[in-house]
Amino acid sequence: MNAHRSIILLLLLGQLLFVGCRKDGPERPEDPIANTVSNGVFITNEGNFQWGNAKVSFYDIATATVVEDLYEPANGVGLGDVCQSMRLFNGKAYVVVNNSGKVVVVDQRTFVASATITGFVSPRHFLPVGNDKAYVSDLAANHISVVDLTTNTITGSIACPGWTEEMVLVNGSVFVTNESRSQLYVIDAMTDAMVDSIPVSRGGNSIVEDVEGKLWLACSGGGGTLPALYRIDAETRTVEHMFTFPNGSDNPWRLDINSDRDTLYFLNGDVFRMSVAAIALPTAAFVPADGRNFYGVGVEPTTGILYVSDAIDYVQRGSIARYAPNGSLLNTFLAGTVPGEFVFP
Amino acid sequence: MFRYRLGSLIALLIGYGAHAQVVVDTLTLPEHEVTASRRSSFAAGTKVQVVDSATMLRYRSSNLGELLANESPVFVKSYGLGSLATTAFRGGSASHTAILWNGFNIGSPMNGQIDLSLIPVHAVGRVELQYGGASTLWGSGAVGGTIHLTNEPGFSRGTQVESGVSMGSFGDRREHVLARWSNARWSGTVGLFQAAAANDLHFRNTALIDAPWQRQRNASFQQAGLITDGHYRINAQQRISLRYWYQESDRQIPATLTEASSTARQVDRSHRISAEWQRLGKRTTAQVRTAYFDEALTWHAFAADAGSFSTASSSITEGELAFSISSAHTIDVGVHNTWSTARAQAYRTAHEQVRTAAFIAYRFNPNSRSRTTLSARQEQVSGTLIPFTWSLGSDYQLSNGVTAKANVAHVYRIPTLNDRYWSPGGNPDLLPENGYSGEVGIAFRSPKEEGRVTLTGEVTVFTRSIHDWIIWLPGPAYWSPQNVMQVWSRGIESHGSVQMRVRDAMVRLDGMTNYVLSTNEVAKSTNDASVGKQLIYVPRYSGNAGLSLVRRHFTSRIGAHYTGYRYTSTDHSEFLEPFVLVDASISCQVIRRSSFTIRAMAQAFNVFAEEYQAVRSRPMPGRSFQVGITVAFDRPFTPKTGPHEYRRPQRP
Repeated sequence: MNAHRSIILLLLLGQLLFVGCRKDGPERPEDPIANTVSNGVFITNEGNFQWGNAKVSFYDIATATVVEDLYEPANGVGLGDVCQSMRLFNGKAYVVVNNSGKVVVVDQRTFVASATITGFVSPRHFLPVGNDKAYVSDLAANHISVVDLTTNTITGSIACPGWTEEMVLVNGSVFVTNESRSQLYVIDAMTDAMVDSIPVSRGGNSIVEDVEGKLWLACSGGGGTLPALYRIDAETRTVEHMFTFPNGSDNPWRLDINSDRDTLYFLNGDVFRMSVAAIALPTAAFVPADGRNFYGVGVEPTTGILYVSDAIDYVQRGSIARYAPNGSLLNTFLAGTVPGEFVFP
Repeated sequence: MFRYRLGSLIALLIGYGAHAQVVVDTLTLPEHEVTASRRSSFAAGTKVQVVDSATMLRYRSSNLGELLANESPVFVKSYGLGSLATTAFRGGSASHTAILWNGFNIGSPMNGQIDLSLIPVHAVGRVELQYGGASTLWGSGAVGGTIHLTNEPGFSRGTQVESGVSMGSFGDRREHVLARWSNARWSGTVGLFQAAAANDLHFRNTALIDAPWQRQRNASFQQAGLITDGHYRINAQQRISLRYWYQESDRQIPATLTEASSTARQVDRSHRISAEWQRLGKRTTAQVRTAYFDEALTWHAFAADAGSFSTASSSITEGELAFSISSAHTIDVGVHNTWSTARAQAYRTAHEQVRTAAFIAYRFNPNSRSRTTLSARQEQVSGTLIPFTWSLGSDYQLSNGVTAKANVAHVYRIPTLNDRYWSPGGNPDLLPENGYSGEVGIAFRSPKEEGRVTLTGEVTVFTRSIHDWIIWLPGPAYWSPQNVMQVWSRGIESHGSVQMRVRDAMVRLDGMTNYVLSTNEVAKSTNDASVGKQLIYVPRYSGNAGLSLVRRHFTSRIGAHYTGYRYTSTDHSEFLEPFVLVDASISCQVIRRSSFTIRAMAQAFNVFAEEYQAVRSRPMPGRSFQVGITVAFDRPFTPKTGPHEYRRPQRP
């Protein structure tokens, strides 16, 4: 029986030991103090759907330091669920938090929230169309919401069937991309009414205006339409050129333009660069993905340095790489989970 | 022989869950000997935990997810009260736990998982956890562990009718009625149950400024079902059984902490039917069993939408023959076939999968102290042979009450229909996941003697490495599953109990600790920082402790359960805080006659109102209560023509 007793004692001791032997706990790194006054870039991090881990990071270019999250330290709670996009306007940042159905208005320098605009179904992008008016596109509402920026409330809506995505304002007209319909809608920003729609491929996801006043639209295709890049005349609202991608699996998106508005960047697995004067799609990648999961691009205004985000497996901090205009890698750093947009002040 | 008799006696008692006699005997852990099952006969060297009858009784108004979360080392990933609950067993994913209902795998052929919140505890007679890899016995998915849900028949017991009602916090109410009848040849059960709750729990929304108290909306659920079985003894050796289990559930899916609102809703419906013939001879045991499962799920992302609808059916057939060559050598051979088909909006067309397997198991027990089993399985999936798997295990009794166990197994999991055919992204070229698992353990049980302290204890060390682990990864245009991860899981588990008689009361103290490391060993892509890090939603530490007291017709228990940090990002930058849940329960036989019993119970969950999340951003209930009453009527069987008893022969 003595042998038994000692075995039991060992077992019980063992239980205690396993509980006590190793400290269980993650590292909790201290973020550096954000210096959003300096020259830098805001990075929106979507986080994971329904996990509520959306963040806005800030990268200080001069010191190459990153603050992973500006919002929580300034406001005491997290930003919300899926930070889709952000827009700087009149000293404020308008942060679109998709699955929380809200647009959070924060001070651009302190990131302290001053208002929350609510009442959206699934907001995607925010576009100021006047000093006190903005439009917000929506994935599921079948309309664009009209927001009064003095009261920060929704004051109206413009019927726009389908999943509306990025928007651009050119001479009083707002061009609205549509992910689920083969149309580029045109809205009169004065009357808040849809005035036209331009037939294009399905999967319209991003749109920019170039130095000549032409619109460039990226469509990922689908539903029998081809993936394509469009050049559109904003005045006549006609397609000037359709650059069709050769394979149905091509997926052009995240179309962006440099500050001189003469060079386009977009993702199609790799990062591609294209002059607005080009007559054909680029064949070689500007930055090959090489096993990375590219998720966003941005171009630093004065230097033309390219920022590319790698969302990796979507469940860890994304990696950002900076590339010089000649294509050489400058440095990399980590942001939040699923970094999507780069916003330069 | 003694073990066998005790085992069947307890199986008998457990079969009568709320039967009056059980409470008296609750504190003795049952022996692990049941009727003809591969688990008990050909799985030497594995750790097995039988959920004791007192625990089954306590969770009678709960679902299997709630029971496992508190009473086993299985981490239950629960999305909230009444919401989706899946398992992580020894650091595996949800599809690495095989859940068997009377020997049939009830995991969905679409995703290889089952929602534990849809299995009411009272619908199951017995819950048994078999730890570690057992793919040779149970096929695909028996990687981290296997959960056996069984409803054993009972003969010659007359008529029992049990009816229970309970009410709890958040508008929870449940009713069930269970009728059993048996004579020496026939046995039948009919059970009806329903449950509903508003689930409008009050929680502090820590994701909002000033953490306001909110009431959970769009969270109600209702569930109803019928469970029935019939058994007939053809003669002293042969038996046929039929079982049918129907269940429907309609639940709203509440918003997360950071969602503005939700109107989502999910409707599940399932039919499960099985038939079985078995012959338990002196030297040979033969079994043929077949089952048909049909399940449907409708998901409404918004209350108003038409919903996306999916259905899946499986037909499983198995034949098995075990025979003793001599008293020391036993061989079991069998064939298995599973045909499954599923239809979903994302499949474009219905897809099917046919799996055929042959298995063989050999048991060597040269004396009463040792037992060794060797088993192997070869499976073919839709015409393609998948890796041959094998398993070797041994139990050895070192001295009276002390048993050493060891086993090693080659395990696998085949890709699910979603992995192969989901559109877009489904990858028909996926290989099965496969790897090796092994464990060694030592178990102690002091002899049961009246008036003495009884001690039990077990410590197990395990390791498992899985290659070609399937993970959905982002591609250029859509996500697609790939065989890229390699996961090494290892850990130490221990549990123990002390039971003693204090005057006229029985007191039992029990505890369990688990340490699990489950790490990804290869980079999934260039910048992947998850290498060497614990998988998400696998707690490294967990444990529980409980104190039970039984005095006459009065039973009480207080239990605490600890769950350590869970990472929610693969690079460990995000995590959830540990939590401790304390539950307390009392039950009492208010009226006890020979044929009539009324039992009342009251339970308090999360007594200290711990604020915690099992899944990120999903609020969990604070302190809550449940009270219930069970009325049981019992008229024992009296044989009409003398003592004509069918005795079940001992297994070969």
